[in-house]
Amino acid sequence: MEEKETFAYEPEVLARISALKIRALKLVEGLLSGNHRSRHKGSSVEFAEYKDYSPGDEIRHIDWKVVGKTDKYHVKQFEQSTNLKCTILLDASGSMGYVSPNETGMTKMDYARTLVASLSCLLLKQFDAVGLTLFNDQVVQHIPPRSKTSHLQHILHGLSTIEPQGVTRIDQVVGSLVERLQSRSMLILVSDLLAKEDDIYKDLKLLVSRGLEVVLFHILHPDEVSLPFEGDFIFESLEDDPDIGLDPQDIREEYQKVVQKQIESYKKQCLGLGVDYVFLETTTPLDQALSYYLLKRQSLSKV
Amino acid sequence: MNLSFLSPIYLLGLLGIAVPVLIHLLTRRQQKRLRFSAVYLLFKSQKRSIKKSTPNRLLLLLIRCLAVALLSLALAHPLFSFGGPADLIPVKPSANVFILDDSYSMALSSGDKTLYDKAVHAVLKPIGKIPAGSAFSIVLASQPTRVLQGWTEDSTLAEKILKATKPSFKTTSIGEALTQALELLEEAPQKEKRIHVFTDLDKNGWNAEDFPESEKQQNTPVKILDFSHLKTGDNRAAVKNVEVSQEFLTNSRVIRVKSKVLNLEGRALNNLNITLSVNGKEQSRNTISLKANETVEKEFTFPIKVNEPISGTIQVADDSLGVDNKRFFSYQPDQKIKVLVVDGDPKTVAHQRETFYLENALSPFSVALSNIDLTVSTLEQLPERNLFDFSVLVLCNVSDLPFGYEIELEKYAMRGGALFITLGDQIDPKYYNEKLGNLLPVTIQSLNQVDRQSDPFRLKLEKSDHPVLKIFTGKSLQEMQSIRFYSLYSVEGRDNREFTVPLWFSNKYPAVVESEFGKGKVILYVTSIDRDWNNFPIQPTFLPWIQRWIKYSARGLESIQRQDLLIGEPFVWKEAIPGTALFVKFPSGKITQLIPIDGEASFNATFRPGVYSLFRGEREASGKSESEETRAQPVTSLPENALPAGAFTVNVNTRESEGGKISEEEIKNILGNLPVEISQGGDVDQAIAASKGFPLATPFLLLVAGMLFWEGWVVRRE
Repeated sequence: MEEKETFAYEPEVLARISALKIRALKLVEGLLSGNHRSRHKGSSVEFAEYKDYSPGDEIRHIDWKVVGKTDKYHVKQFEQSTNLKCTILLDASGSMGYVSPNETGMTKMDYARTLVASLSCLLLKQFDAVGLTLFNDQVVQHIPPRSKTSHLQHILHGLSTIEPQGVTRIDQVVGSLVERLQSRSMLILVSDLLAKEDDIYKDLKLLVSRGLEVVLFHILHPDEVSLPFEGDFIFESLEDDPDIGLDPQDIREEYQKVVQKQIESYKKQCLGLGVDYVFLETTTPLDQALSYYLLKRQSLSKV
Repeated sequence: MNLSFLSPIYLLGLLGIAVPVLIHLLTRRQQKRLRFSAVYLLFKSQKRSIKKSTPNRLLLLLIRCLAVALLSLALAHPLFSFGGPADLIPVKPSANVFILDDSYSMALSSGDKTLYDKAVHAVLKPIGKIPAGSAFSIVLASQPTRVLQGWTEDSTLAEKILKATKPSFKTTSIGEALTQALELLEEAPQKEKRIHVFTDLDKNGWNAEDFPESEKQQNTPVKILDFSHLKTGDNRAAVKNVEVSQEFLTNSRVIRVKSKVLNLEGRALNNLNITLSVNGKEQSRNTISLKANETVEKEFTFPIKVNEPISGTIQVADDSLGVDNKRFFSYQPDQKIKVLVVDGDPKTVAHQRETFYLENALSPFSVALSNIDLTVSTLEQLPERNLFDFSVLVLCNVSDLPFGYEIELEKYAMRGGALFITLGDQIDPKYYNEKLGNLLPVTIQSLNQVDRQSDPFRLKLEKSDHPVLKIFTGKSLQEMQSIRFYSLYSVEGRDNREFTVPLWFSNKYPAVVESEFGKGKVILYVTSIDRDWNNFPIQPTFLPWIQRWIKYSARGLESIQRQDLLIGEPFVWKEAIPGTALFVKFPSGKITQLIPIDGEASFNATFRPGVYSLFRGEREASGKSESEETRAQPVTSLPENALPAGAFTVNVNTRESEGGKISEEEIKNILGNLPVEISQGGDVDQAIAASKGFPLATPFLLLVAGMLFWEGWVVRRE
């Protein structure tokens, strides 16, 4: 994907971006400020510990003062804190474009956008590098991670120009993307996971096995969870399923069971793989969702 | 396989299917389209879910439609059969006799038609489809039965004839019709033979005596189509009988009409209108109430001003069968009879006169009351009288007549005058035997006398059919037994002379000798008409006895009026005078001349109820010789000199109305071995289906109930 430094701003996109930015900043401002500690050791100003020198260690990291005193070679280790690279994978398939007939709050896509923008904002504020990849059955747009503050603008632009369409094929996307991703980086997957042929477990396993830290935001609209419609409906698929005419009342109970079962199964699979799984309904306040998540991260990282 | 309906009109109820469809369409929820993300999950859930709403509503619609359809089908009396409807006449060559009941009970209304119309329609159907090689004939079953159409294969002609027929006023005789049908079938060459009876199963038509044993042994199948269920109204009442009489010896001429009205329904009839009409005008109207199956007698009386013949009707309120609601009557009030009495033994003291008792008996109070206009004359005055002014001449104890007067008497009698001769002490038997030999068929022999103390002569009394004497029965007959006769002449018949002796003495002497002379009558009473020789004049029976004799001899007694006939009964006229003819004027205005043969004429064409007027007149000249002349000839108009001679009435026989319906079992008993199949008429196709078909009404109704139950269950589940 070609990286653009400048954008031909369209007024609509611009308006959307600024709204998104304001939303994201507002969200992030109120959140915990502070470091986003990494578990990996690296070059940093913050000393972590000494370790015996072993061949291969950088010689410049040998603490000569200690050598002078003890005649032993010790290597200084520092906490790696700035070299976190985070790639956000945002699902831009048709199903994400669902708009409820009695929509009052944010649409699913808006919610996902805001979430991604907020996360990007948050990460950039901590001088972490953030990239964005939009996908449906393939990668639609890829913005590589950068840690420049101005990089947020790229991401916001990318978010604003999403047109949800196509079928979700996470496996294909992960397959093509996994080589590009730096190991030991972070991957945030934002999707509704409404893909009938996908085995998300495999994809996650692949990512985890590459040493990536994966966070999965599972976003669903409450309509998709509870099927609250009354009357006869012909449901047209936003992806490639055929139409179905039915009275939702008849299958509501069963549908809710199926959805809950799916959520439970994701939760279980993620737990097994060490993937952070966050289930979000679009009615859940984003700050609450984010703070909850960050709290959780922090507590995890401090262990 | 065939499904037919007895009441196809109810199939219109199938239109009711529109109602559930409308309900379905009106309550149908609008289907909204929604672009949804998790459609594959919907599919997944739908597969697992048992509930399927849309088919449910379709199912409800289906159930409701089915329920409505089944209900209307059940009401239409469906019949399922494996045989086809063309079964009334088999496909193979067959001989079919259609017996059509055209009795008046078939005139019962069925909608705007009659049962008969429906039966004719039912006959026409199979006739129109008669297969090649098959033949049919039609027999009308009203008594006397007749073959309307002999063996034929031509349905068009038979159709024309059938359509022209109407129900008759006659009664039914299925037995006779079956006999006729079996006779017809004997002539038929076809092997397959069938009899179809189209009737209302009136009990009257089924008399066990009408079915001979030989008939019962045959095995021709008899199919009976019963049309009685098609009637749309009931025959509620019938006028069974009407009797007309004149009040005797009261101070006015009062006619009394007694009628018997019969309730034919199984329930009470209240305030039934009954109307008396006389000479075309309503005379009186009343209401009667009858209990179930009761016969009530209703009497009307009304005065008449002049003694002219009357005719009229008694009619009860109309019901579905109008024929038996009306009964005709006619009556001839006694006409004034001019009587000339010749007193052969006049006395100055009134009660000693020979004619004293006779005068008082013939005009008891006044002329107006007895209808006898009496003129008393002495023998001397006799030649001055014009005999032809009088109907009856009574010679009381007349010794002998003026010279040559016997010729006058003969002329008088020859032209229709009546001569009534009573004897007594004044008469000269020799004169009577010599001069009146032509008039009297007997010779006066000897005078037989007994003392007043000894045993008198008495009348030999027995019940008599003689028009004069037939009213004397019971008590009056006993009273006559006590009459004492002390003197009487014995008589002896002349050679080759015809006379009758209506009344005898107990010692076998004739008391009254009656003979015809020309157009007139000569009657000889062998004793005195006063109390000299007997005590009869002071007996109570004397008055009616002598009045009746006088009226009888003037031919005023046995009025033809009295004949009340039933449909089909012949009218018989016995008092024919040679050379004259009787003209019968039908209620329709048609005139027929009756020519008497051997003094008797009869008339058979009494096929319509009504009053038939009679006229006496000269016989119409015809070119044929007497032997060739038929007994009844239609004529265009009455001859000029025709005189009214009374009337007779023809009425329906209410037996046809009274019988009710015969049961299937009774029919089978009566018909013995004949294979009988009884089914309901109407449409022939239906009838056949009905005879063979399995009725589906009940299963359909059960299905309706099932459907409604199911519907309720489905609605509840929703």
